Amino acid sequence: MKLMVTFDSDGVQEANIANAILASGVPVNVERAQIDGDDGWTLLDVKDEEAERFIGALKHPGVTVKIQRDAVSHNLTECVDCGLCISICQKKVFSFDDSWQLQVDSERCVLCGRCVMYCPQRALSLQK
Amino acid sequence: MYKSIDDINEHIRDGSVRVVTAEEMPDIVDELGVSGALREVDVVTTGTFGAMCSSGAFLNFGHPEIPIRMEKMWLNNVEAYAGVAAVDCYLGATQESTTRGTDYGGAHVIEDLIAGRSVELHARAKGTDCYPRQSITNEFTLSDLNQAIMVNPRNSYQCYNAATNMGDHAVKTYMGYLLPGHRNITYSGAGALSPLPNDPTFSVIGSGTPIFLGGANGTVVGEGTQHSLSAGFGTLMTTGDMKEMSTDYIRAATMTGYGVTMYVGMGVPIPLLNEEIVKHTAVRDEDLVTSIVDYGTPVRDRPVVREVTYAELKSGVVEIDGEEIRTSPLSSYKKAREIAGELKGRIEAGKFTMALATRPINATKRNKPMAEHGVVRRVSEMMVGTFVTITGEESVKEAANRLLKGNTNHLPVIDSENRLIGIVTTFDISKAFARDEEDQTVSEIMTRSVITALPDEPVDLAARRLQLNNIGALVVTDTSKKVLGMLNSYDLGDLVGERWHK
Repeated sequence: MKLMVTFDSDGVQEANIANAILASGVPVNVERAQIDGDDGWTLLDVKDEEAERFIGALKHPGVTVKIQRDAVSHNLTECVDCGLCISICQKKVFSFDDSWQLQVDSERCVLCGRCVMYCPQRALSLQK
Repeated sequence: MYKSIDDINEHIRDGSVRVVTAEEMPDIVDELGVSGALREVDVVTTGTFGAMCSSGAFLNFGHPEIPIRMEKMWLNNVEAYAGVAAVDCYLGATQESTTRGTDYGGAHVIEDLIAGRSVELHARAKGTDCYPRQSITNEFTLSDLNQAIMVNPRNSYQCYNAATNMGDHAVKTYMGYLLPGHRNITYSGAGALSPLPNDPTFSVIGSGTPIFLGGANGTVVGEGTQHSLSAGFGTLMTTGDMKEMSTDYIRAATMTGYGVTMYVGMGVPIPLLNEEIVKHTAVRDEDLVTSIVDYGTPVRDRPVVREVTYAELKSGVVEIDGEEIRTSPLSSYKKAREIAGELKGRIEAGKFTMALATRPINATKRNKPMAEHGVVRRVSEMMVGTFVTITGEESVKEAANRLLKGNTNHLPVIDSENRLIGIVTTFDISKAFARDEEDQTVSEIMTRSVITALPDEPVDLAARRLQLNNIGALVVTDTSKKVLGMLNSYDLGDLVGERWHK
């Protein structure tokens, strides 16, 4: 599953992610990150069964962890099931079912926003 | 065995008509044979739902109390062509808003009208004795208009090429966003469910053929613009009453980085009059071949990467150079199916009858490219052939001297064989001096990835590269990276920033 971790000005002062990995022994994949001296966020991918242990180890003042669900909002009224998003998303969030209706697997999303920008019908948005 | 159009219409009237969609037809022909299928089936319905830029509508507003001969006109700030009598216009789907750019255009005005939303009309005129008024601003809806007649100059391509990008940077095209290094493929059209592949010789489709257009019962006007049947790219000009249309089948869209377009839902019923027509409607996606074209090359005759069938494109993955590349349709197959199904329903319910074309469509026509009478200017004609260079081992101070001597801002860095390895600009030199780094060598401060041009490239392409990279000059090299000259933005004048005014 994907975890959205945000840091406030206290949270960015220490090596919280590294400490949590060492303390929990859980390997994580950093999908995206933007951190500077004031604040920051990072999107981490962890195995479902190890997520609880890792989140526990990450508890620290200035650090907020949110499990990312439904990252992509799919407006069914606007969408015409053209499928342009399918091949521009390198994370394979989008696919067709047997009836050529668009399916969205938000679990895979890394919030790059490319689908939002290039959807011809403006039917996609991201929930951060 | 033959069937007449009257036989089929009689079946529609007495409720015994047999209609199938083009998707169902191949299996029926396999099972019953061609003559069996002709006996069993009366009509095959087709459908497509895709971006059709070449679309628009004629609107008539009626005369206001103080009459006006509208000469310039905007609908929700989208300009419509008003040079058709006093209170008429043609609104093109791809025309973009003067205030909202590519987010809103003619297609959006059309969708808003069909959805029943009100639209603001603003028009100007010089004022005449019979039409004294000089301006008008008014809100209106579709029901206020006398006529709103969609006329699409070019719809329903018989076949369209698929797109990929072999270049090293992403391109934003009317075929969607194409990732660099051929990492995705886009295609358009419903394949064997599309109208024209089911009548590739135009034996039944012609002027006057009744069709489904945007939800309305519409008509084929005749051949579409750029119709090129002998090359396999036939098109249709179509028309229908916007007042009968639905936003289920007409949708405005924006191809980001390209512009506004309109998704049009369109379907043609094919009456099965003889065995030849039956054979054509048995077409499968496996039979329909198109080309994957490199949209990374911005010229008319783009290189073909490979041939591909619609069956391969629709499978979701196509192989290029041994790699599996994912595909995206730009058109909606789900909607295309809905349209073929809806058309089938209307015929079965007796609400839609068949008609023979009043005039056939030319089957020999081939589209011509534009014969440009002006000469396409090449980079070699506009570049400056005298230039100064420097090697990577020389000092920053020497580079400064060389720039002054050459009276230039750009200094190509070359190796011992005169090949380009980098570039330094006056900015780089100033930066080095400001940081007290003038004793460094040129290779330590130069930019290694240099934006270049080839001498035989059209100068318009080089000008666009200057703009996209926001730089003042391109180094002109041959294919072995030997420096031939410099192309400076200030020598290109109007080519940069504006269209070339002669």
